[in-house]
Formats: sequence, C-alpha cells, structure tokens
Amino acid sequence: MEIVKTAEGTGLTIALEGRLDSISSRDLEKELRASVPGLTELVFEFEKLSYITSAGLRVVSLAKKLMNKQGHMVIRHVQPDVMEVFDATGLSAFLDIE
Amino acid sequence: MTISRAFFRWLLVIVVAAFLVSMAFTWSHQTNMSKNNAEMLLRTNVGDVRQDVIDASDENLLALCREIARELDGGAAADRAGLLRMMDAYDVAEINVVDENGIIVSTSFPKFLNYDMGSGEQSAEFLCLLDGSAEEYVQSYQPTSFEPSLSRKYAGVTLKNGGFVEVGYDGARFRRDIDRHVINAAKNRHVGRSGCVIIANEDWNIVSDLYGNEGKNLSATGIWIDRASMPENEVFHAQVYDQPSSCCYIYSEGYYIVAVLPENEIILQRDASIRTMGAVEILLFLLLFSVIVVLVRKLVIENLEKVNRSLSQITGGNLDEEVDVRSNVEFSELSDDINSMVSALKQYIRAAESRIDEELALAKNIQMSALPSVFPPYPDRDDFAVFAAMDTAREVGGDFYDFYLLDENKLAFLIADVSGKGIPAAMFMMTSKTVLRDYAERGDAPADIFINANDKLCDGNDTEMFLTAWMGFLETDTGLVRFINAGHNRPVLIRDGKASFVDQKVNMILAMTEDVPYTEQRVQLAPGDILYLYTDGVTEASKADESRFGNDRLLQLLSDDFGTGETACRKICESVRQSIDFFTEGEPQFDDITQLCLYYAGDRSQEKLSGTDAEKAASLTEHLRIRAEEDNLYPLLGMIGRMLAEAGCEEKAKKQIEMAVEEIFVNIADYAYPEGGGDADILAEIRAETKTAEITITDAGEAYNPLAKPDPDLNMELEHRQYGGFGIFMVKEAMDAVDYKRENGKNVLTLRKSWK
Repeated sequence: MEIVKTAEGTGLTIALEGRLDSISSRDLEKELRASVPGLTELVFEFEKLSYITSAGLRVVSLAKKLMNKQGHMVIRHVQPDVMEVFDATGLSAFLDIE
Repeated sequence: MTISRAFFRWLLVIVVAAFLVSMAFTWSHQTNMSKNNAEMLLRTNVGDVRQDVIDASDENLLALCREIARELDGGAAADRAGLLRMMDAYDVAEINVVDENGIIVSTSFPKFLNYDMGSGEQSAEFLCLLDGSAEEYVQSYQPTSFEPSLSRKYAGVTLKNGGFVEVGYDGARFRRDIDRHVINAAKNRHVGRSGCVIIANEDWNIVSDLYGNEGKNLSATGIWIDRASMPENEVFHAQVYDQPSSCCYIYSEGYYIVAVLPENEIILQRDASIRTMGAVEILLFLLLFSVIVVLVRKLVIENLEKVNRSLSQITGGNLDEEVDVRSNVEFSELSDDINSMVSALKQYIRAAESRIDEELALAKNIQMSALPSVFPPYPDRDDFAVFAAMDTAREVGGDFYDFYLLDENKLAFLIADVSGKGIPAAMFMMTSKTVLRDYAERGDAPADIFINANDKLCDGNDTEMFLTAWMGFLETDTGLVRFINAGHNRPVLIRDGKASFVDQKVNMILAMTEDVPYTEQRVQLAPGDILYLYTDGVTEASKADESRFGNDRLLQLLSDDFGTGETACRKICESVRQSIDFFTEGEPQFDDITQLCLYYAGDRSQEKLSGTDAEKAASLTEHLRIRAEEDNLYPLLGMIGRMLAEAGCEEKAKKQIEMAVEEIFVNIADYAYPEGGGDADILAEIRAETKTAEITITDAGEAYNPLAKPDPDLNMELEHRQYGGFGIFMVKEAMDAVDYKRENGKNVLTLRKSWK
C-alpha cells in the first residue's frame, strides 16, 4: 500500500492506494500518530483503495476518534467494495464520507 | 630422532670431551712429573757420586796427614828440611806445622811461615783443631786463603804437643790417589735404565764413563759445560752419544760429575703412565656413561614411552584410555594433566554431538515437511486413493515419495531412494524431488522427464550421489499407469487378494551418468487394484542375526484382504510397518522405511456427472503448510489470489475470499500459539465450473471457535468499539458459509464462497 500525504497548514490529506490490510494498517497507524497532533482537518482520499480488512477499519476508527477531539475528518471517493464493508460493519454511520 | 638417541648422542659427545680434557691434563701432569722425576734422579746420582768422591779424597788425604802427624809426634824433625823430606816421601804439595795459637811455625813453603791461620776464611776453618772440638779436619778441594789462584785440598790432624799439622796437596796429586775410587763410584752406576754418570777431571779428560771413553775429552760425549752460565745441579739438555738427553752436573774435588738420562726414557716412562691412566679413565667414563644411560632410560625414556603409548591410543580414538605413569612426581602430574585434558575433550565432543543431533532432527523436520503429509490428499476424488508413509531411521536419510495431479485425469506418483545418508543425502533428495516435479509439470513424456532430470542431476553433481526412483503416471479414467523404473525395487500389484511384482525393465539409476535413455513401460490397473511402492528399507529390514524381511514375506503379507479405498492403502502401510517391527524384534534399522500405496477404484466421473453436463470437472487444489506468522500472509494471499484468478473468479468475490483468509490466518498467527511457532495448513480448492471456492484452514493451536463469539453491536459508538469481533463478523458477512470443527486436536475452519 502507498501512503501519500499532502499538508496544507493545519490540514492534511492522506491518499491511500492499494490494500489496507493487517500489515499495511500498521504503517498507517504509525503515520497518523505522528501527524495528528495539531491537526484540525484530516482528509482521507480512498479513490485508489481497493481492499480493507478489520485491521484497516480499526485504524480508520482510531483516526476518527483522534480527530473528534481536535477537528474534523472526512473520507472521500470510497470505492463500492470498501463502502460495502463500512456499511456492513455499521461504521459508515460514524464517518463523514463524501 | 628419538629423544633417547639425541640424549645419548650428546652424552657420548660430553663424555668423550671430558675424557679428552682429562687425558690432556694427565698428559701435561705426567710430562711434568717425569721431568721432575728425571731431575731428581739426575741430582741424586750426581750427589751420590760426589759424596763418594769426597769421601774417597777426604779419607786419602787424612790417611797421609795422620802418617805425617805420627812421624812428627814420634820426634821427626819439624824444620823445613824435615818437612821437605816428608813432602817427598808422601808426595804431598805442602806441609805446615801450626802452633796452639794458630800460627804457622814451620812450613815446607817458606812464604807461609808465620801466617796466621785465623786471617783467611779457608784457613780459619782449621782452628777447630785448636779448641778441642775436633782432632781431624779435612777440607774440600778449593782455592787457598793465602793464594786464591792456587786450589788445594787440605787436611789437619792435631799434634800431641799442641798445635796441628796441616797437609795439602794439589789437584794432580789428589786425583792420582783417588781416580781409582772415582772410577769405581761412576763405572757401574746406572741412571734410570739407560742413563749413566760421566766424570771428567779439571782438564775435561774423562775419568770414568760407562762406555769406556776414559782419557777422551768430555766434549767427545757431546756434553759441554760452561760453569759461568750453567749453574750446578740444574738440568740441561745435550746430545749425549747421539741421544738427546737431560743432564745435570756438579763440579766437585776438581771433577765434573755429569749424570745423563736419555730423553726417550723419560718419555717412555711418561707414556707408560699415561697409558695406564688412559685405560683407567676409559673404564671409569664407560661406567659413568652406562650408569647415566641406564638411569635416564629407567626414569625418563621408559615413562615417556608409556605416556606416548597411551597418547597414541587416545589419538587413535580411544578416549577412555588413561595415562597412569606414577614412578615420579613429574610424570604423575603429566598423567593427571593429560587425563583431565582428555576428559574435557570428551565433554566437548559430547556437546558437539548433541548439537549435531539437534541439527539433524531439524533437518529431518524440514525434509518431512517437504513431502505431502495430509491424507486424504484428494478427499473429493473417489476414483483413486493414495497413502504414503515414511519412517526415517535415526539419521536423516534420502528416501522420499511424492504425488501430484498433473491434470484432472493424471496423477503422478513416485518413490525414490537417494544414496547415502545425512544432510548431503537430504539436500540431494530435495533437489531430485524438485527437478522431477518441474519436468513432470512441464508436461514432458515420462521417458523425457527422466532423461532431462537425469542430465540435470548429473550436471554439477560433485558429491557423486545418485538415486533410484520409480515414477508412475496414472490415467485416472482408464487405469493405465505409464511408469519408469530407474534402478528401483519392483512395486507390488495387489489384484483380487493376490500380490505379485510388476514385471518391468529396470533403467539406469538417476544421476550416475549423462545421456542415458529411459524407457517407459505400462501396467493396466483394473478397478480394485492396488499398487504398492516401497524402498529397500522394507525388504532389507534385518534383525540381529542379519536375516532380512525379504520379498517373499512382503508378497505373502500383501496377499491379505485390506478392503478398498484409502483405508486399504493406510492399512497396508501400517501392517507392513508392524510386520517389520515384529520381524526385526526391535533391532534399530539404519534405512528409512518408505511406502506409497495407490488404490484404483475405476472411473466414476461418468456416473457422477451423468445427470449433469458431461464436461469435466476442472478443479484447482493446493495444499500449503506454513508457519502461522504474519510474514507468510502475502505468500498465502498470493497463492489464493492466483488460484482464484485462474478459475476466473470475479474481482469482488476474490477480494472477499482474500479478506476472509487473511482475517482467519492473522487470527491464528496472533492467538493460536501463545508459545509461538505453530503451523497452519491451508487446503484451497477452487472449482471453475461450479464457481466455488472451498478453503480449509487448520491449526493445531488452542481450541478456539471464532463463530461462537456473538456478533458485535453495529450501532455501538465508535468510542466503545472493540475490533476483535469485527474481523470474524466481516468473514461471516462476506462468505456463503463458514464452518468450524475441532478435530484431532486441531481447529478446522472451512470457508465456502461461490461467485457469479
């Protein structure tokens, strides 16, 4: 999985490409914990994310929880297969998905 | 060179050197001694002769003097004329009459009249006759006090009327009287053995000589005496009668008394002494040498040899040998040191052995895991069944078996035996297995598989290893088995309860030499037939008396009724194993015992598919045993993904299946083995025509049924969510069916999914 970060003031866009699975989600968690402090706006670009597992869901939820305290988090361009997972797990109710 | 030879050689050198030094010392000492002896001999002889001469001359003069004194006492005239008469009568040179005051009162020689005897040193000696201490006195031949140019010999005898008469005579007169005595004194005298005494008078005329040279001049003998430069009584060298000699002289009473000793006599004497001393020393040094040799041999060499004998036992491999030389402290300590060193060595060897054993066990595990070990391997196939077993000997061996479907209708199966044992054989076995499979899967004809594999295995086979192999290719629809036998044991065909060897031509062993032709052969199986493959570990299993299990026993055993299907195969392998154990009576076996059993049931596809399409059921089956570790996740997903893609599975279902496999596998990796280090078996069966995937994941970890967990509350707030349950929930959502069972101490989870 590739993680591309674009920072803009206190805003950060993270674009994910590929598979957010048990192994790659660990990298993402590391990135998040490093980047989130001081952030007010976090945007996930999921246009090229094709695959997600429960470990991936956990990290996305973690990001959401962290951002709830200090700002706002949005997920964009979620692919149908991934969206289905968000829906199935009831997570979509708690996320801002555009 | 041995230490004893080196030691003895040096000892000999030292002893010889000591002998030479000692002999040199003896020589110089003896030379000196001989010289001193010679000197002493010469002096003694000269002294003796001189004494004789003096005694003779003293007596001669005194006798004359006594006669004259008696005449005077008898009243003979003492005037000059009287004295002159007596001078003539006695043929003396001088007569003096001395009064009681020491004055010459009458003399034959007028010049001496009134001479005071006390006034000269020589004449004063005669005063002893006046004080009553002596009645006679005689002097040696010497210069007179009155006239030192004149040498005379005097004697004095007291007179009755006081005073004394002094009579003197000169050399010539005196010699005339005593030459006879002198000649006698020297004539028969020998100095040493061959030396002599020569006496010459004042004029060098020889008076006495051993060789009869009397009258000749002294120089004729070769002796030359210069009194001024040659002190008396000292040894000088001269050529006497042509013989180099040591000489010594004294001038006494007007005679030269010369003692002569030829040098060769001195040397002879010395050499005799040296010879005696030399002989004694040789004996002494020989004794010393022998004693040292014996002691060194006894105390050192023999002990060293004992230690060496033990050491060569030890280096020869007998580590239980103990060195036990206790004859002295040093060797006792050496023995102890060697023993403790050897016991330390033994410990190291034991440690190394156990490490090697561990590594061999590990190698054995690796080897075993390379062979298909999940039975039944094809649970959905009812047209054939296969079972195999390998019991390895203590060491890692080179046996192996293998089987795989080359396509739906073609099962490849083989058994092989690599020469040798240990790690090299195991490695060669892995290579052989891979090479054969590579060519088989490439679709080569059986003969070509062997020709190519043989060339490949020969290439770079530096270890000179080889293998025998029997490989068959079963056409599952017809029962035809095409096979190649490369030097392997003939398999057994069991048909209708009768066992017989499959007749066959035996080809060349693999990996022996390149460019070998291999010929394919065939055997037609009928439904119900069983083909039994084995390695020589079966027929050559032996008991203590070395008798072997053998072919007959095997055929007899296999003629039993074992039933059908996989059960029959399993039973056959087990009962052969049991028979071998029974036969060998627990004797440890050094060969692997490897068996492969194939049951052919006949083609059932017609019956099975008759109601549906006649099209063949193409299925992909893979079995994978991997460590349950996250590192193996991608290889596993890679395999699943590849199989699904091959079967034409659509993308969404593919992702869902992958996700499900991942969730289950990661769960096993994280939780199944709290101690770490367990395996997971993944059996994936993907069928293109039915568009179904069935994946069974088995682990031997703690019993855990993920399906028993209640589904998570989907409406739960984000803050309270626990993600443990979501993985399994997602799997259940995405799959058509998920089954769990606990079987044989294993968790078996089956995922099923079909796609459109």
